[in-house]
Amino acid sequence: MFKDITDVRQQLEAQQYITSDEIATVVYLAQNLCKPILAEGPAGVGKTELAKVWSKALGRPLIRLQCYEGLDESKALYEWEYAKQMLYTQLLRDTLRTSLEGITTLAEAAQRIAQEENVFFSENFLLPRPLLTALTSDEPVILLIDEIDRADVEFEAFLLEVLSDFQVSVPELGTISAKFQPMVLLTSNNTRELSEALKRRCLFLYVDYPTLENELNIVRLKVPNLSPELARQAVTVVQQLRNMDLRKIPSISETLDWARALVTLNAKDIDQETLTNTLTVLLKYETDVQKAKRMMGDGGSRRQGGGSTYGRSNR
Amino acid sequence: MAGAVVREVVAPMDDRIVEFIRGLRAAGVRVSVAESVDALNATGVLGIANKGLFKASLRTTLVKQADDFPAFEELFPLYFGSGGPPMQNAMDDLTPDEQSMLQAALSALSGRMQQLMDWLTSGNPPSKEELEDLARQAGIKWANNPGEAQYITRRMLRQMGFAHLEDQMQQLMQKLQEMGMSQEAMEKLTGVIQANREAMAEQIAQQIGLQIAQDRAERPDELHGSDLMHKPFDSLSSAEADMLRLEVKRLVAQLRSRAALRRKRGKEGKFDAKGTIRSNQRYGGVPLDIKFKKQKLKPSLVLICDVSRSMHSVLEFMLQMVYEMHDQVNRVRSFAFYGDMAEITVDMANMRIDEAVQAAYNAVPGGSYRTDLGRSLMTFHSRYLNTVDSRTTVMVLGDGRNNYNPSRVDLLKDIQRRAKRLVWFNPEAREQWGSGDSIMEEYEPATDDVYIIRNLAQLAAAIDKMMAYS
Repeated sequence: MFKDITDVRQQLEAQQYITSDEIATVVYLAQNLCKPILAEGPAGVGKTELAKVWSKALGRPLIRLQCYEGLDESKALYEWEYAKQMLYTQLLRDTLRTSLEGITTLAEAAQRIAQEENVFFSENFLLPRPLLTALTSDEPVILLIDEIDRADVEFEAFLLEVLSDFQVSVPELGTISAKFQPMVLLTSNNTRELSEALKRRCLFLYVDYPTLENELNIVRLKVPNLSPELARQAVTVVQQLRNMDLRKIPSISETLDWARALVTLNAKDIDQETLTNTLTVLLKYETDVQKAKRMMGDGGSRRQGGGSTYGRSNR
Repeated sequence: MAGAVVREVVAPMDDRIVEFIRGLRAAGVRVSVAESVDALNATGVLGIANKGLFKASLRTTLVKQADDFPAFEELFPLYFGSGGPPMQNAMDDLTPDEQSMLQAALSALSGRMQQLMDWLTSGNPPSKEELEDLARQAGIKWANNPGEAQYITRRMLRQMGFAHLEDQMQQLMQKLQEMGMSQEAMEKLTGVIQANREAMAEQIAQQIGLQIAQDRAERPDELHGSDLMHKPFDSLSSAEADMLRLEVKRLVAQLRSRAALRRKRGKEGKFDAKGTIRSNQRYGGVPLDIKFKKQKLKPSLVLICDVSRSMHSVLEFMLQMVYEMHDQVNRVRSFAFYGDMAEITVDMANMRIDEAVQAAYNAVPGGSYRTDLGRSLMTFHSRYLNTVDSRTTVMVLGDGRNNYNPSRVDLLKDIQRRAKRLVWFNPEAREQWGSGDSIMEEYEPATDDVYIIRNLAQLAAAIDKMMAYS
């Protein structure tokens, strides 16, 4: 458990994750109010990463549930392991025969087997999926529900029940409640409107692209061999690109890729040539590349100035 | 769990937070009671000493939508201070001699200016009553939005004599010089007055903004989202319609999850041989896991909309709702009629809703400018009848006023026979049917159901019902 907000910040930073005040506050509150966090924001700003470093900082296992269209309860919660049940029936055939000894009528045999039924619908044959794993774990865990906006509305409604009570019912076994309430992080890229009820239960965290200084810190931390001078230039360019009207805005991971590329190419300065050669690391559409080249085309003068403001993504 | 404990609201700060939440609600941010409790709990955990953390904890518990951040950012400084420097007392730095000199110089000023200079040198801003008085004169009651505070403040400052401040300062300094005040003390005094001037303007702006926000929260007659839902479409002002458009999004999200749950909880249907064979291949073909077909299939819709002027307001909301439900329906074909009928494509992904309505209007062939459903039905019957099959629900949106043209109920009956259901959405109350050129009573027997949709609440309920039966 984190002691206070400074502790959150330091521990996450020890895991090489630069936090803003807001992120640290929300994580601390989530822990103390026992509420899930709903992290929203453009792709590639480190929402999923937050869950990973959170679990590492606390030394707790991370359980990840990746959402996609068509995800249903059986894939998220539990399934009966039919194959194992079959195998056991085969192996236990002899035992079954002995237990059925002396019985003559079919009805009696059926009744006898029915008495043994719960052997086959016990936890032995239950195949837990991420949600059940998180609930039944013997130690507190971090549960990451990734890209909830991709799941169907039905699944969201089901998740709501799990998140409000932290218990699920398996018809054959009864209700299973969490031994330790997991810390939950839901991420969303906001491709569709989530239900009010889900939002109401969560703390809301909007993760935006980082400020120039924060991004610079991230680059310094993750790509230490890039010279500080060059790092600043590179981040300034990226920040400027984010203000442009592009089809796909470069994310933090792309900034890091670019920084690594610059190190590999042993670049001394971000001049026209380096830029032309490496811009495709940052931009993934030809039209974007053309647009960026036109903007950067008039030399370094514009690259040096400004760039400290950062734009919101085109959501 | 800490989250479930409802704390007693005692501390004055808690009162302030509750007031702030009312302000947020008045600005259109949806805050539930549970969320208010969360906010109070969060401030209980983090305390209120650190303003940054305090702000972050309120924001994460109260605002769940990035679109609502601007409203939060606007209101927060009004309720909890903008963090500007406090006003200083100029007397503190002066010797007793200099103090009496200043007193004397001030008393020589004219009434209003004396008052202003008094405020600026003493560091005591005008009292609440004085401010309220000034605000009233500046017309605060006409302001609806805290954003207008700047304008009101400017007017107030002008009334207080800020415009002549420079002149007055010079006169004051001249007098003080004549009285023999040291250059140093005078410079200090000027500095304090200048700083106080900024601070005071800011404080007043904050208070005025707060006043406007609070007034807005108090105003009982202001219709917000849920109340507007019950206001008839044809009496909506354009601002109200805008507000309602936001409401539609929320409503649709609700309708969608209801439709989705209904489909999920619906009884399972016939045995699904194909699915069973496929899923049991892993058990060597022994059918352990029996699959059933979902009985509730997503409905296909055929929309037939009257696009005459009188229908525009309701048409817009209806199209928006139907198309936002796209993932709960199989397929939607839309047709617009006026004098005649034409198919319209509603591209909600790339079009704003009002553009879509305009496009629908433009799609209808010109010529006759009078509603003629009879003729439109003929066109539909001869050209588009294949869009209707036993799984289709046909929705007709119209007021049933046909300009004394033939009704051609027989065609509508025919369509109804082919379709799973035919429902009619009518924005006119039942009492008005049959008056004038309304032939709704003729059409009614050819429908499975008629929904009266005079406001958004009725429209939402009707769509929900229609989805349930189709």
